[in-house]
Amino acid sequence: MYPNKHKQIVTSLMDGRFITIDESYFDILKINQDFYVEFFDKSFGFELKNTQEFYYLISDETKENTSRDISIFFSILCYELDKDGKNFMDELGFSDFHIDEIVEYIKNSTWIDVVKANKQLNDGESIKRLVGSTMVKRNIAIQHSDDKYSFTKAYKLFIDFARELIKSEMNEANS
Amino acid sequence: MFKSEPKSIVQFLATHFDLLRQLFDIQLKNEIILKSQVAETLDEFGRDIESHLFEHKILVEQNDDFVINEPYFVLFEFVLQQFKPLLPEEIDKFGQSIRTLFLNIKEGINQDKNILLDRIEALSNEIKKFRTAVTNNTISLLNESRELKANTRKIEYQEKVQTARYLIDYYIIPLNTILDINHSQSIYNELLAISQFSNNKRFDYSDESIRRQFEKLYNLLRQVVKDISLQSIILSNELLPLLDRIRTESEYLLGFHLYLTNMNCYKGIKPPKIFSTSRDNQYNKYIYENTKEYFEQFKNEEDVFVEEEANDIEQWIFNKNEYKSKLNSKLPVTDFFSWCKNAIENEKKDFDIDNYFMVTSLIFEEEYDIEQDKKREKITLKTKQGEFVIPKLKISKKENVSE
Repeated sequence: MYPNKHKQIVTSLMDGRFITIDESYFDILKINQDFYVEFFDKSFGFELKNTQEFYYLISDETKENTSRDISIFFSILCYELDKDGKNFMDELGFSDFHIDEIVEYIKNSTWIDVVKANKQLNDGESIKRLVGSTMVKRNIAIQHSDDKYSFTKAYKLFIDFARELIKSEMNEANS
Repeated sequence: MFKSEPKSIVQFLATHFDLLRQLFDIQLKNEIILKSQVAETLDEFGRDIESHLFEHKILVEQNDDFVINEPYFVLFEFVLQQFKPLLPEEIDKFGQSIRTLFLNIKEGINQDKNILLDRIEALSNEIKKFRTAVTNNTISLLNESRELKANTRKIEYQEKVQTARYLIDYYIIPLNTILDINHSQSIYNELLAISQFSNNKRFDYSDESIRRQFEKLYNLLRQVVKDISLQSIILSNELLPLLDRIRTESEYLLGFHLYLTNMNCYKGIKPPKIFSTSRDNQYNKYIYENTKEYFEQFKNEEDVFVEEEANDIEQWIFNKNEYKSKLNSKLPVTDFFSWCKNAIENEKKDFDIDNYFMVTSLIFEEEYDIEQDKKREKITLKTKQGEFVIPKLKISKKENVSE
């Protein structure tokens, strides 16, 4: 009656997790996408969103502060990686980062005002918690041994959002 | 003429290569080597070789300063593979001379044999120069683009985007046009036409020496066409995607920049929606994060701007002269404060107490005499803001006061 691993999929999404392409749940969701879209809508009024690489739920009541912290985090990290001569898309997609390395990038960023104004980014411990807890919990980051982290494809939600800002700004300017 | 043996010149180049490279780098950067820079470099590497630099004609004077003699400069560019990218116009000039020579060859094919031979040779030389220019240019553009990609100079992204766009617009796209097989006006297509023509003529020409010259030209072109097509592949497979990548990344970077600038991220721009988790059990693995998130949603970190409500009350301006002339026409007035009340009430029924006091300020004008009521009578003034008990004052024109 219900797709395989139904309970795990529902629990996972309702915990605010992103289900990404490298997980087995992703394929089940993909095959049963229509069912799950309707299931979440009819049962809870939640919207199941998807891209080529991940699924996630959104609700009317949204975690704006958390989302904003994560968006700022990626914007700064990518900006600093680029300044360091690194290809930030490749780095986020395929590299592991030691947490200290991440902290250094954020702490030494030129966006110091933005960092100072943000409680999740303005000191090393908070950054560690944002990555190690908040982002791991939502499956945006994965913790490896030796305090190393990598990012799942869910990071794209937060950087594509920034790219869209420019597109909409350009459209506005053209209209 | 050289005083020195060619071998000793080459030996000198090898022995003092570091010094020469330093001078080369200076010239590459500044286009000229100042006298003082030559002196500094010699101080570092040894003054005793100064005379050789001029004996071997490595350095030549340019006004009071120096430049590396052109043949040496080209040699260093070549051995160091450091070329300044050529503008498409500089490359295109080879195309122009190739086209003209080819046209003259075709038109004069049955005319004087010697000029035909010279033209074929000149055409070969131009083709070789063209190949060198294109190859060097691709190398230098590739180096520049890779450096830009790796951001070795640690430049800010705006400058990076600008440089990438500049390279694309002024160097790479025009170079691509020159080499593009699908572009009818491309030099590459011209070379193919020459190759076909010389292939015919190497068999089909009465004079043997000309046939041989066409044969050489044809062989040269077989190689050149291969080389140029390789450069074109590098351009379209490596260089254009590399710059395209810089362009895509720049869109993201522009986005981050817009998001972070002026603290926009805390103001109008809403982040992407993510799911809000509902009730949790205390033994939930993420109880700490969830609780924190829960409380944070009530915390307003955003700047709050309080806009004062627009004041609907009509501004009233005290026209002193008007009131003064009204008063003058009624003088003497036995009850000044009551007169003020009536006067303002005539103009503005719903007057403010501040307006009233502005009118009463007429009392301080020098031209009036003020007298208190003999009975020291007081009057009461009722306004919506309160009740005022004030003395009854008589006001009259002071005598002998100039207007």
